[in-house]
Amino acid sequence: MYFPTDTIIRIFMPVMRSVLSLAAVMALVCPPVSAAADGATAGESTALARTGKSFVLPPFEKFTLTNGLTVYLMEHRAVPLIYATAVFPAGAARDGGKSGLAYLTAESLFSGTKHYGKGKLEEELERHGVVYSSYAGLDAAGVSLTFIKDDLEGLFPILREVIQDSLFTPGEFDNRKRRLLDELTQVKEQPELVLDPYYRGFIFGRHPYGNPLFGTYGTVSKIRSADARAFYRAYYRPEGAALIFVGDFSAARMKGLVQQHFGAWRGKGKAPEPPATPPPPVFTSPRVLLVNKDDAAETRFAFGGLGIERNHPDYVAMQVVNTILGGRFTSWLSDALRIDAGLTYGVGSSFDAFKASGTFAISSFTPTDTTVAALTLARDVLMRLHTQGVDEETLRAAKGYLLGQYPLLYETPGSLANLLAAMFIYDFDAAYVNDYHRNVEAVTVAKAKEVIARRFPRDNLQFVLIGKAAALREQVKRFGPVAEKDIKSNGY
Amino acid sequence: MKHIAAVLSVLWLLTVPYALHALPAAADVQTFTLKNGLKVLVLEDHALPNVTLQIFLRVGSRNEYPGITGVSHFLEHMMFNGAALYGPKMFDRVLENAGGATNAYTTENVTAYQDWVPKSVLPLIFAMEGDRLGTLALDEKVLENERGVVLSEYTTGYENSDYELLDAQLRAVAYQVHPYRWPIIGYEDDIRNWRRSDVLDYFRSYYGPNNALAVVVGDVTPAEVKALAERFLEPLPSRPVPRHVHLREPAQRGEKRLVVEKDVSSPRLLVAYHVPETGGTDYYALELLRIILGSGKTSRLYRALVSEGKLATETWTYLPQALDPTLFQIYAMGARGVTAAAMEKAILAEIDKIATRGITEKELQNARSKAIVSFYRSLETMSDKADLLGTYEIFFGDYARLFSTAAALEKVTAGEVKAAAARYFRPANRTVGIMMKGR
Repeated sequence: MYFPTDTIIRIFMPVMRSVLSLAAVMALVCPPVSAAADGATAGESTALARTGKSFVLPPFEKFTLTNGLTVYLMEHRAVPLIYATAVFPAGAARDGGKSGLAYLTAESLFSGTKHYGKGKLEEELERHGVVYSSYAGLDAAGVSLTFIKDDLEGLFPILREVIQDSLFTPGEFDNRKRRLLDELTQVKEQPELVLDPYYRGFIFGRHPYGNPLFGTYGTVSKIRSADARAFYRAYYRPEGAALIFVGDFSAARMKGLVQQHFGAWRGKGKAPEPPATPPPPVFTSPRVLLVNKDDAAETRFAFGGLGIERNHPDYVAMQVVNTILGGRFTSWLSDALRIDAGLTYGVGSSFDAFKASGTFAISSFTPTDTTVAALTLARDVLMRLHTQGVDEETLRAAKGYLLGQYPLLYETPGSLANLLAAMFIYDFDAAYVNDYHRNVEAVTVAKAKEVIARRFPRDNLQFVLIGKAAALREQVKRFGPVAEKDIKSNGY
Repeated sequence: MKHIAAVLSVLWLLTVPYALHALPAAADVQTFTLKNGLKVLVLEDHALPNVTLQIFLRVGSRNEYPGITGVSHFLEHMMFNGAALYGPKMFDRVLENAGGATNAYTTENVTAYQDWVPKSVLPLIFAMEGDRLGTLALDEKVLENERGVVLSEYTTGYENSDYELLDAQLRAVAYQVHPYRWPIIGYEDDIRNWRRSDVLDYFRSYYGPNNALAVVVGDVTPAEVKALAERFLEPLPSRPVPRHVHLREPAQRGEKRLVVEKDVSSPRLLVAYHVPETGGTDYYALELLRIILGSGKTSRLYRALVSEGKLATETWTYLPQALDPTLFQIYAMGARGVTAAAMEKAILAEIDKIATRGITEKELQNARSKAIVSFYRSLETMSDKADLLGTYEIFFGDYARLFSTAAALEKVTAGEVKAAAARYFRPANRTVGIMMKGR
C-alpha cells in the first residue's frame, strides 16, 4: 500500500545529497507547501530570475453535467499519453469512527465491477500498459489512470464501471483487508512512514483530521465489505465529484465520451448531508508524545502545532516565509542543523493544508544521543523567526527561489491533473497559479512579520518523537509533560 | 486484435520522427567535445523558461576499495561545500537565491550533479560548476560536519528500510571480489575514518573533464551552451585517465544463503541471481523478465505470492543499471505467520515454470506495453530527458540507444525470454537472503 507500482523506484533511489521533504509521503493529493531560504548574497542573480516571465496555467475547460459531475479537460501534448483522475469527497475525515474505511473503499475500486471480475479488470488494464491506482487522503479519494492515447475509447467503459459499479464482493474485500492488517504492523517497522499519523493524531486528537489514513489494527479488523459498499454509495456520486483529463486528446471528442459514459449516471438514494466539521483544538500547554521503539538507533521527530486550510488567503505568504525557515536546502533550519552542526541528513518545515484546517511541523531525524541537541537547536531557529523576523534581503532571496522553480511544479500532465484535482477539492481557481508571481512579490517585510506572528506556532509547542524511550525519557521532559506509547501497540 | 495493433502502432511511433509531439529524437540532440575531453549533449526544449544542466562523472562505489568505501558519495556531498570563487555555503545560496535548485546522486557506477535553473541563470551555473570542478576546497572543519551528515544518512537508511539492510548483507555474500560487494554509502568505519587526503586524491583521480559528461536540456540553443562551456569548462585541465576497474566476479559455484536477524513482524526475502551488465547479452530479455515476474498485479510473482498465494504483502523485482555484471533481485515481504521457506518455494516455482515452459505471447505483449508507457513517462520533464540521455551515454556507450529502446524490446522473442530464465535462474547462480526474528 505504501509503494504503488510506479513509485517502487523510490526504494532504489541512489544515495543522494538531499532528500526532499516528508511532504511527499504525507500529502497524497494537495501540492505540498514547501520552500525556504536564506539571505546571504546574490542581489544580482535574484534580479536575473525576476526578468523571467511569470508562469501561466495552460488553458483548460471546466463544465458541469446535468447530474452535477464537474469535468476538467486540458489538452497537453508533451507525450502521447492521457492522465485521467476522478476525485470524490470520500476521504478519511469521513471514516466516522471506522478508521481505514475510506482507504479500503478506494483500494477496492479495482477489485471487481459489474462486468469485470478482478482478474479480468487487471488483465484489461495491464495489457494496455495502463498505470492505475486509487488513493485516499483526508478530504478526498479517487482513482488515477495513465494510458496511451490510442486506448482512450477502449478504457472508458472500465473507468465508468470502476466509478459507478464497483461491487465490493466479500471475498476480494477480505483479501485486501487481511493484507492491510499485516501492513499496519509492518509499516511501524519504518518509523519515517508513521511519524505523520502519530503527529496528526497528537495535534488533532478526536477531530476527523486526527484519523489515521490507513486505519488501525483495531478499527480495520471490524470493517466489512458492506461498510465499504455503503460508503461508496454515499460518497462516490456525481454531484460531489470531478473527472479530470489532461493529455493528448481532442476536447471535443472527450466531451462526447464523457457525456456518453457519465451523462446518465445518478447516485443511488439521497446524498448524505456533509458532516459538520468541528473546530480544531486549542493548545494551552506544551506536550510531548514519546513513542518507544526499542531497537531504534535514531530518533525521528516533528514539532509544531496547527496550520491553516488550503484556500486560506495567507497561503502564499506562508510559503514565502516557510521557504526561509525550512523549505529549501539553504533554509535556516538546514543551515543550523545540517550544515553547521552536522546533526542530521535532513530537516525541514512544512504546512500540511487540508480543506478545513492544517498542521505546521518542523521535522528531522538524528542519532539517539544527539536528539536533545537537535530538538533544541530546531526550536531555537523557530524562536529566531519570531524574535528576529526576516529582512528585505532574505525575503527577496526566498521569492527568487520560489518563482524560479515554480514553472517546474507543473511541467508534467500528471502534475497538472493533480493541480486541477486540488483546485476542485480545496476550492481555489486558476488565479492561484496565474497570480502566483504577483502574490509572491507582494509579500513585504511587514506582511511577513504579521504572518509569522499569526500563523507560525510559538508557544505551547506539540512534540512527537519516535525513538528509544529508555535513553530519551528523562531528557525530553524539558520540552513539556511527556506521554508515552509503544510503537508496537495498536494505533497511533 | 485491436489491442495488439495499438501496441504496434506505438512501437512504430518511436521509430519515426515525432511530428506531432514534443518527444525528442536522436537527431534533435546536438553534441560537441571540448579540447579537454569533456563531451556535451544539448537538447532544446522550449516548453518552459527553464534549463537543466546535469554533469555526470564516471565514478561511483565500484571505483573504491576497502578503507575508503563510501568516499564517492562523500565527495559528492563535499562538492557543495566550497571552492575558490564560491566558498562554503555559497553554491547553494547563490543558486537558490537566483531561482535555481540543485541536487546530486551517487550510484555504484556514476556520480551526477543536477542543476535546475531559470534560463537567465545558466551563465551563473556554468561559472559555479567550473569553479568547483577546478578548485574544490575540502575545508577541514566543513568536512568534519559533513561526516556527521553522512553518518545520519547511514543510520536513517538502515533504520527505515529492511530492504536496504538485507541488500547490504546480501551483496557481501553474493559478490566475492567485485566492488559491488559494499554499499554505496560505505562501511561505517570508513565513514568515520577517511581523511581529507583520501577525498582529495579521489577528486584528483576521477574528476577530470575527460572523465565527465555534461547534458543540457531546456530553453536554450546549442550555440549558447557551446559558448558557455568553452568559457567556463574548457579551461579545466584534463587529468590522467583513471585506472580501469579490473575486478571481475568469478562464476558462482553453488547456491549461497544468509540470514539476518532482526525484530521483524514477518520474514523478508531477497533472492538474487548474477546477470550481465546493462546493455550486455540478454539485457532486453532480462528487462522483460523483470516486468513479467514482478511488475503489476497480473505479474506472475504478485499473483503467486500476494493476491492468490496470500504468502506476502508485497513483492517486486529489480534489475539495476550497472557497468559490470550485476544482480537480478526478487524481494518479498511476508504475510503474518508465513515462513521464509514458503515464500522461497513459491518464488522458485514461478521461476522454474518460466525456465522450463516459457512465457505466452500475450505476456510478452503486455510487458512491452508496460515498458512503452513507462518509457514515455520517463521522458516527461526536462530533467528526466537530461538524466536519460546521460545514463544511456554512460551505460550503453551512446545516448542514441535511448531512441531504439522500443525497437530492441520488440525484437525479443518469447523463446529468448525463456532461454534467459534458464541461463541465469540456476541454483548455483543464486544467493538467498532471509531477514527474520532471532531464535
